[in-house]
Amino acid sequence: MKNFIVIKNLDFCLDSKPILKNINLTLDSKEFISIIGSNGCGKTTLSKLIMGIYPYTKGSIKIENREVSEMSLFETGRKIGYLFQNPEKQIFTGTVYEELSFTYKYREDIDKKKKEREIQEILDTFDIGYLKNKSTFFLSQGEKQRVALASVLLNKPKFLILDEPTTGLDYKRKEILSEILDKYKNKIGVLLISHDYEFVKKHSQRIMRLEGGA
Amino acid sequence: MNNPIDPRTKLFLVLCLSTIGLMTRNILLLFSISLVGLIISKMLGGDFFVLIKRIRKILYIFFFIVIIQSIFTRQGVPLINVGGFELVTDVGLNRALGYIFRVLIIIISGVIISTSSERDTIQGIIQLGLPYEFAFMTAIGIKFLPLLMEEFKDTYLAIQLRGINIRKLNISERFKITSYIFIPVVASTLNKAKKISISVENRGFRAYDRRTSITSLKLKYRDYLIIMISLTTAFAVIYFKWI
Repeated sequence: MKNFIVIKNLDFCLDSKPILKNINLTLDSKEFISIIGSNGCGKTTLSKLIMGIYPYTKGSIKIENREVSEMSLFETGRKIGYLFQNPEKQIFTGTVYEELSFTYKYREDIDKKKKEREIQEILDTFDIGYLKNKSTFFLSQGEKQRVALASVLLNKPKFLILDEPTTGLDYKRKEILSEILDKYKNKIGVLLISHDYEFVKKHSQRIMRLEGGA
Repeated sequence: MNNPIDPRTKLFLVLCLSTIGLMTRNILLLFSISLVGLIISKMLGGDFFVLIKRIRKILYIFFFIVIIQSIFTRQGVPLINVGGFELVTDVGLNRALGYIFRVLIIIISGVIISTSSERDTIQGIIQLGLPYEFAFMTAIGIKFLPLLMEEFKDTYLAIQLRGINIRKLNISERFKITSYIFIPVVASTLNKAKKISISVENRGFRAYDRRTSITSLKLKYRDYLIIMISLTTAFAVIYFKWI
């Protein structure tokens, strides 16, 4: 879908300090876009504004022509999958399998067979089948991230926001993440927030630089 | 945060206020202590109402206890009678009011203590003779409380971002989903505790029996005066049985 997310004249202040100034941005649903910029330039803030985590006062953010300020968090969460900078925050259960099943717990439209098939598919795609019964407490940073991303994707979002996904990952883990992202290229839209320019350049169709909130 | 009163003086003040508050059953005295405490906290730069705003979500529990206490106390003269049932008696009302004022005194005490910086309060506790390890643990606890709250909020948010409409769930489902919040919070707390223990060991924590401190608190005349006034008042209240 063209213009999946449309941001117009967005300003954002936190404790009277301007963080973002006059942001205008259009994101399509199958596009891979990246935002780069130095620490504290407002990249994560922008992503949180898109998700409706922070309320904005000036300007407009629309997801599929609906104003984000009028949407609940669960509604934006169903349209856009969000991977936190620290994936620990979004792992709620004791084992990897339970974590992947969590997505289905509160959905009525899924039968057991379909659920098992989808979980197996995502375990294969992410190459985390060997972690299926492992405790989430003992996962490495890279494994936690893959489990969190897999859980988010099981929700079948149309768009994905990844906040600094390469932080704390070594070369090999970055490669694994790259392979996963390649599998989803042109299937869903991705907004990648990072200051890892090499990683960004490798995947993005469009790169935007955020500097001083503009 | 910084004000001219020593944190130890504040601890004495709080000790006097809360001791009388716990000992007395006199509603008028409890009201007076609350009022005095409120004035002192305001004079020290504390903001009672900001704290009340922060804890407003748990205040209903106190009100629930107050109502239960006033309704289920059967002694005394009935004040409100509904269909032959003594709903509220004077003793019940007295107990409920006493409970409200005692909770209020605890909150005000917290506000008074919080007008000193965390570092000064800890230094004050150490200079009162408490072992450094306990003071350090208290400091860590105080420091991590807001972080813990932040993590609770983030996880609650992450659950909703997983597409779950919490408002639509029934009470048992809501209760169950709240339990999911604890897993990431406990995991991160354990991780933090592990990292802190490693880093403090690396920096020579408890390497020597005695520690020196850069900051040192000194009681001034006004501190002695406040301690004397508060102790005298507390003793007078207890001695003359105004409680």
